[in-house]
Amino acid sequence: MPRGPRQERRYTERPRQQGLVQKAMVESVRKLDPRLAVANPVMFVVWCSTVLCLLLTLVPNLLDAQAPAADRGFNALISLTLLATLLFANFAEALAEGRGKAQADALRRTQARTEARRQRPDGSTEMVDSSSLRRGELVLVQAGDVIPADGEVIDGVASVDESAITGESAPVLKEAGSDVAGSVTGGTRILSDQLTLRISADPGKGFIDRMIALVEGAERSKTPNEIALTVLLAVLTQVFLIAVATLSPLAGFLNQAPSAVTLVALLVALIPTTIGGLLSAIGIAGMDRVAQFNVIATSGRAVEACGDVNTLILDKTGTITLGNRLAEEFLPVGGHSSAELAEAALGSSCFDQTPEGRSIVRLAEKLGAALPFVADSASGIDFSARTRMSGTDTAEGLEFRKGAVDSIKGFVRSRGGNVPDELDACFEQVSRLGGTPLAVCRGGEVLGVIYLKDIIKPGIRERFDQLRRMGIRTVMLTGDNPITAGVIAREAGVDDFIAEATPEDKIAVIEQEQKLGKLVAMTGDGSNDAPALAQANVGVAMNSGTQAAKEAANMVDLDSDPTKLIDIVTIGKQLLITRGALTTFSIANDIAKYFAILPALFAGAGLEALNVMKLASPKSAILSAMVFNALIIPALVPLALKGVQFRPLSAQQLLRRNLLVFGLGGVVAPFVGIKLIDLALGALRLV
Amino acid sequence: MARILPIRIWLPLLLVAGTIVVAPQLRHSQPPLQSHTLALLLCGTVALSGYLFAVIAQPEKF
Repeated sequence: MPRGPRQERRYTERPRQQGLVQKAMVESVRKLDPRLAVANPVMFVVWCSTVLCLLLTLVPNLLDAQAPAADRGFNALISLTLLATLLFANFAEALAEGRGKAQADALRRTQARTEARRQRPDGSTEMVDSSSLRRGELVLVQAGDVIPADGEVIDGVASVDESAITGESAPVLKEAGSDVAGSVTGGTRILSDQLTLRISADPGKGFIDRMIALVEGAERSKTPNEIALTVLLAVLTQVFLIAVATLSPLAGFLNQAPSAVTLVALLVALIPTTIGGLLSAIGIAGMDRVAQFNVIATSGRAVEACGDVNTLILDKTGTITLGNRLAEEFLPVGGHSSAELAEAALGSSCFDQTPEGRSIVRLAEKLGAALPFVADSASGIDFSARTRMSGTDTAEGLEFRKGAVDSIKGFVRSRGGNVPDELDACFEQVSRLGGTPLAVCRGGEVLGVIYLKDIIKPGIRERFDQLRRMGIRTVMLTGDNPITAGVIAREAGVDDFIAEATPEDKIAVIEQEQKLGKLVAMTGDGSNDAPALAQANVGVAMNSGTQAAKEAANMVDLDSDPTKLIDIVTIGKQLLITRGALTTFSIANDIAKYFAILPALFAGAGLEALNVMKLASPKSAILSAMVFNALIIPALVPLALKGVQFRPLSAQQLLRRNLLVFGLGGVVAPFVGIKLIDLALGALRLV
Repeated sequence: MARILPIRIWLPLLLVAGTIVVAPQLRHSQPPLQSHTLALLLCGTVALSGYLFAVIAQPEKF
């Protein structure tokens, strides 16, 4: 399980454990209500058994007129043990739910109602309550204001403190016209300057509102794996119910007459109460662990899908390499000088506000270049995935462009120019260094290549090695040319890459993998990522991303860290492994219970030889098995909530290891536990 | 049936009816109170088994 400083950056402080435990204790009593108990088939059978045993404690001869009144004490002990089993299972679920509710409360505290400056159609402003703002309305926010609702920045540049949501204290720059930095979240605070926002959500439907609904409601919808496991547990319970119900006539045939309480004890000991009691707690705790990583999942299904992911599709920039590529060098071609190229590069980048564009401007100015036109009379051409270039058109009719070499070649030829042979050599030279070559032209004239340097994130190769050991394939998507993409892919250790990728390629790759029966996870932040995020089995949107991306994804990363996809997959796998491990443990427990209860039931029919634990008496054996059955639930609550330790191993290795630890452990532990409880009961002279 | 009557009405009715039908069969070995309680327990076990079948058939509803 990866641990790191990121875990401390949570949008909510760790809920106070003591308060949670007290609330969970109260809630575990409330959950004894049969209308709630009926939702869990295994525990409902325990509930019915408890009621029957309590009745037989009050009236020992209720079912059998010959039953001795002396059985009342034993019946009472069994009833109390069954009641404890129910309360422990309820407590586990209530504790897990309590942690989710504490997170929802922490989120709700960020939703303080505030006054907002709503812009009237004539441009003047009026003060209104934030709850009266509607989608599409314009508001003005100034330094110090709390942003009243989710919105898109339509004017201005400002730094915003998003720590209320992300826990990250460093301010974030928000500006108009940017796909990613152009959305703001209600409840965050503007620290400098002012912004004009277009409200993007009606009251109660904002990002935080949805997060609260998700955190609070997450535990209510069962995931496909939970449903499958519920069926398995119900089938096992059904089989044991029929077996125990038919045991009474069978015992009569052997001249044995087990009491109803003894048969009930056998039933409860055999049905999988451990996993039945912990199942929902494991699922809720999985959601909680994802939330601790500052990721909000739309459903438990999404978290669970993470555990089954086979393919990770990762953007190169920001995930595999450090986010910002910086201009390192200008390489002139066609007899042009470095100064000429720097001037053209400056001309093509003066409207480019991306980090790459700004770094080109800085490098050009460092080399002494000056803008060859009046900026006020020129217009910027934005980069697009289709044209794969950006630039500037001047009032004098000059067209400065920079972009992918093939795109610039096409542009130059369309303007009647020639492409110098050196351009390809320069392109290869930069690509082989793992850099991104950007060709620069002025109308039909190519001036050279800008070398944008990419830096691979430290430690990323080791993470990919881990993923490979877990059987997960990594695919890198990049807009770079195949040579650069190949160099970066080799250095980073990804399994496959797609160069010169367009947004459509993302969807194509996802669909192709899904056709092969694989589950795909990906991250995205821009509006153009939204279709792919919706198509992927696990789509993680960055909180800094657009509203469209967040709505299409089934998870939102509040820290906007694309690398976190790897952590999320690990958490999903941990959830599935925990559920599998505890199911194995629960079913393996039955073996020791057979050896405790069956010899006690059929003591007079020659089954004493099965009393391998040498338990003191039949009643002591039954009570010991029941006490162990009850105590094992709270003993496993920490493991259910924390999850079993995750190791990056293949599925076969994990299965082998968990069968050894939880299978063999599940067989051996009850033998030891039941014997110790039997000795303690004997010492206390309880039976 | 659930559409006509809610479960909290028809389930107790079924249990009572089952008890009345089964109890006479058990009277040869137990006095009236015990034979009726035993019959109720049998009907309750059948109802519990029916509930488990319902969970197996429609797990998403539970």
